[in-house]
Amino acid sequence: MGIKEESCYLQRQSSDEECIPIAATRVPPPQGSVLKGGEVNSKSRIIKAVTESVLWDQRNTEIDNVSRSSSATSGEFWGKKMGKFESFFYRILLVMLYISYGLFRYGQYQYNRMRLRILNLIYNPANTPQLIRQDVMKLQKIPKRLAAIVEMKPVGDLGGGLKGLLNDSSELVCWTVSAGIKHLVLYDFDGVLKKNVNELRNEIHSQLSKYYGPSNVPRYAIKIPHSNKIYFNDPNTDKENENNASGGDQEKTQEKKKVSIEISLLSNRDGRETIVDLTKTMADLCASNDLAISDISMQLIDSELTQLVGQEPDLLLYFGPSLDLQGFPPWHIRLTEFYWETDNNEVTYSVFIRGLNQYAGCKMNVGK
Amino acid sequence: MEGIESSSNIPGYNITLKWVKNIFSRSLRVSNNVPKHVGFIMDGNRRYARKNGIEVKEGHETGFFTMSKILELCYESGVTCATVYAFSIENFKRSPYEVDALMNLARLRIKQIVDKGEMAEKYGIKVKIIGDTSLLDADLIKDIQNAMEITKNNNRAILNICFPYTGREEIYHSMKECMAKYCDNGEPEFKINESSLDLNLYTGGEPPLDLLIRTSGVARLSDFMLWQISNKGVVIELIDCLWPDFGPLRMAWILLKFAFQKSFSNRTKKFEEEDIDLDEDYANGSKKDI
Repeated sequence: MGIKEESCYLQRQSSDEECIPIAATRVPPPQGSVLKGGEVNSKSRIIKAVTESVLWDQRNTEIDNVSRSSSATSGEFWGKKMGKFESFFYRILLVMLYISYGLFRYGQYQYNRMRLRILNLIYNPANTPQLIRQDVMKLQKIPKRLAAIVEMKPVGDLGGGLKGLLNDSSELVCWTVSAGIKHLVLYDFDGVLKKNVNELRNEIHSQLSKYYGPSNVPRYAIKIPHSNKIYFNDPNTDKENENNASGGDQEKTQEKKKVSIEISLLSNRDGRETIVDLTKTMADLCASNDLAISDISMQLIDSELTQLVGQEPDLLLYFGPSLDLQGFPPWHIRLTEFYWETDNNEVTYSVFIRGLNQYAGCKMNVGK
Repeated sequence: MEGIESSSNIPGYNITLKWVKNIFSRSLRVSNNVPKHVGFIMDGNRRYARKNGIEVKEGHETGFFTMSKILELCYESGVTCATVYAFSIENFKRSPYEVDALMNLARLRIKQIVDKGEMAEKYGIKVKIIGDTSLLDADLIKDIQNAMEITKNNNRAILNICFPYTGREEIYHSMKECMAKYCDNGEPEFKINESSLDLNLYTGGEPPLDLLIRTSGVARLSDFMLWQISNKGVVIELIDCLWPDFGPLRMAWILLKFAFQKSFSNRTKKFEEEDIDLDEDYANGSKKDI
């Protein structure tokens, strides 16, 4: 069991390391960036892009042809080089294909937006847990563990910036509590939520008191598996409980640890990098002969990663226009059900409840 | 299998179809925005068989024909690497009769790909069977090795057949490979990092996955290429039809969609650079809060 200790060591060590603010350098997912981004990514910009692409196609045909003859990869068709005329012809065809697809896409986009607007009207939680409860009671099964990928939108947008992200996350927490789900995983690529955990605590507290009344706020715990920290409720009430209290208070802390919901905050760091770290730790143990490679089983890796990151969620909600897992821990999506709405770009209750609906209807047969 | 023959009723239909396909795939090819690596979860062969009142075995065979048609279109459009999920380690749980049938089918097809090998020859495909092959019986392993040996010098395109495979096993396998290389003193320079784990996957050294297609409307990965798919920017397409019903037309549509979105997101990225200063301001602001 030397491994277990080692991996704890790994956690503590990495908690100290300085996280680079990735928010400044991040590139939006290629699919989404065209259609989402709200006000900042305006229609005029899309038109600009379209025209530039078409013009570029025409203008660069000749230049491309020159460069193509030198680079074998782009213009070659299984050894047979495309002629100047041929390539021009296909380019025109491509532009025509793009234009017709673009027209179709525009119609589809408008249709989807309209549909989402109607759905949002139909499903409206109106800050009441009872309504959510009613919706959930109809379902045959609900996920034990729910995960959601949230994104920080550009600051200029409606619901953008850190405020918007915190608001979205805390609302998700409220819905999850009301639905009776005990575990929620919030994933954001850059780890913004992790860095602003105190703000998140406050926001969740105030949001929950909107739903349940200020005197009735359900207890919650925020877990950051990467730095091995747990926060209970809002920061003002019990500062001393941040980390495990000891001695005579144990009973009291036990009492405090009974929570209605446990929220885990994950980021890109918990995905591939954690697997790399685990491999390194194990390799070091093997090199010093504390562990034989043949002793490492899938179960061992699985239990280690469960300890480091958490358990596999049953349902993963994505609130973007088209599914992009954005580096979500790969080990933990084996049988996870995904749900997202095409062209949706908001964290809304309708997506949440429709995701639960889909999950209730899914049949799981592992390999059979 | 009626679907395949019925199309030839009208004279000249097949030729026209082929012609359209050629033109389409060449047009896409000039866009230079075709996915380099596509993954397929071919789900729904059994349901198709049940729906059409044919045997499960025949369902799988129809599925194979669909696969070859789809792959042909992909390779012509400029996809250089395709990975298909043929058999999961979990599939050993199925009835022994079906497992046997699947194994026989695999043996037959692997031989066919190699011997007659129109497709492997025409597109210069290197066939790789990936997964935990130690679970198979010795005869089949021999066939597989033979197939890989014969096509190993083809270098235009790659076809990965996942046979018995799971995504977790792949990650586990890669971790172990890395550990072994690290401990082995033969390679003192060996470092464990993301790219070394990536290289030691079964798909190591191939272009990164761009597009995943899963049929039959199930929204799960079912343990397929977990490491690769979770990467940022991989497009996931879930299609609500059974695999044997998934025709080249739908595939063409998906390829067009992918190319369209990719071309325009590449262009809009340029405009987005203006926003980066804004983001930076924000990032500095949020750091102060901590």
